[in-house]
Amino acid sequence: MANPAIPLAVGRPSAATTPAAPRRNGAASYLPPLREAGLHLVPWLLPVLALAGWQGAVSFGLVSNRFMPAPLDVARAGVAAASSGELWTNLGVSALRALAGFAVGGGIAFALGLANGLSRLSERLTDTSVQMVRNIPHLSLIPLVILWFGIGEGAKLFLVALGVFFPIYANTLHGIRSVDPGLVEMGHVYGMSRLELFRRVVLPGALPSIFVGLRYGLGIMWLTLIVAETISASSGLGYMAMQAREFMLVDVVVLAILIYAALGKLADALTRRLERVCLAWNPAYRSA
Amino acid sequence: MLLDAIRPEISGTEPGRTAGAPPPARNAPAGQRGIAVTLRDLRKGFDGHAVIEGIDLHVPAGQFTAVVGRSGCGKSTLLRLILGLEAPSGGRIVLERPEGARRDPSRRIMFQEPRLLPWARVIDNVAVGLSGLGTRAERRARAAAALEEVGLADKAGQWPATLSGGQRQRVALARALVSGPGLLALDEPLGALDALTRIGMQDLIERIWRAQGFTALLVTHDVAEAVALADRILVVEAGRIALDLRVDVPRPRRRGDPDLAALEGRILEHLLGAHAA
Repeated sequence: MANPAIPLAVGRPSAATTPAAPRRNGAASYLPPLREAGLHLVPWLLPVLALAGWQGAVSFGLVSNRFMPAPLDVARAGVAAASSGELWTNLGVSALRALAGFAVGGGIAFALGLANGLSRLSERLTDTSVQMVRNIPHLSLIPLVILWFGIGEGAKLFLVALGVFFPIYANTLHGIRSVDPGLVEMGHVYGMSRLELFRRVVLPGALPSIFVGLRYGLGIMWLTLIVAETISASSGLGYMAMQAREFMLVDVVVLAILIYAALGKLADALTRRLERVCLAWNPAYRSA
Repeated sequence: MLLDAIRPEISGTEPGRTAGAPPPARNAPAGQRGIAVTLRDLRKGFDGHAVIEGIDLHVPAGQFTAVVGRSGCGKSTLLRLILGLEAPSGGRIVLERPEGARRDPSRRIMFQEPRLLPWARVIDNVAVGLSGLGTRAERRARAAAALEEVGLADKAGQWPATLSGGQRQRVALARALVSGPGLLALDEPLGALDALTRIGMQDLIERIWRAQGFTALLVTHDVAEAVALADRILVVEAGRIALDLRVDVPRPRRRGDPDLAALEGRILEHLLGAHAA
């Protein structure tokens, strides 16, 4: 992690006499609390500046608020939607769809990834087919899916599950393949049963790669859901945005987009947290 | 020494004393649970290419045998055959457990790399050596005792990534020994360590071997290491045993002992001479 304090301290020769200078290693835990708090705020600097510039541009009439509402308008729209309960209903519907699709697609992908990683026969049987289907952009199936499922829940669940499937499958398989064969041999010599070998050697060894798949999968989960809801739905965040477009409620459209951004960030942060707990043994994940 | 004092009463129970086999070395430790190894015309080939070409060998229980040779001479393959990691193409391997031992002969190996599970704490890595034995609490207690023996009791709760190379190899040694094996195979376990750490590890291995009395098989290309540790040195060349030497220097051995140096010189000369021929 780059520590912005380092170039400053190194760049100024006189800085050698200041108390901050010896902290060349930049470990955040050695910094005084105030500076540490400052470091945590740094990633938010750009978004806050962008927001302020945006508000300024609209307030001073540089941008017409017919096309781009000011942040305050968006916030007001958010409050209105939240207090009417419309926002929560749609958010809940979307989240449920996303998670259900993720659970189904991710679960099947994880199971198949494990099976193909552990059994040559299973891989020979299924991998070629999976690789062929993988090259079809899953969103191109929307017309077909609407024909099959209508615009009900089944269509969204299917699309999300399909989109989530490939990154999780490919990374689970890759993770199991890349487990150190020396460790597997060690497990054999030390008399581990097959189950023990899987639980104690293969699965933990594949975990970093599985997490990569999880994060990719979560990204695709939102993307797919948004597209599916925008095209055909009668509830959900995407539907809310499309309705707003019909009535030229630009602030609600932007509100929906911002909520997507926040949800994506939330999913990513949760995965990171999980990674740090599950992969604490790995020096690459231990420190922030 | 205390160990020498107990030796006479158990030496009578030592098995595998086949005719023509060399008597146990003078300095051999208590051969309480060592496994005797006998090879009869052992052969191994990979894709039609012979690596081991008919080896006959008897290693008495509790002996410390070193196998030296040039890279690719088949010494690691020999070790892997005895460990059961490879199936022989021909010949027989007979492992005789000591009389009175109930369980099957237990064999353990220490690899050149520590091969610790990076995601398991040090103590759990040692407990891997007890897979399938006893309850979890018993395994942990025995693992803690084994860590104590290699001087790493204070590292029990750490991740392997935080240890130095020498410490990791000591954890691997504790893992290999925690179950009390009858045969310990060491496949160049000290090859990646610096000179000082290496000497420390050699002393540790010798001390534990003397205390526990397992049969030790050390594969190494460091002749000085073989001479410092072993009762008997086998020089392997092109899949055969070219030289079978006893090391009759009493223990504890002093580094730089002239007898050891002479022996080392003789083996090196043989290895280099074989190369020139």
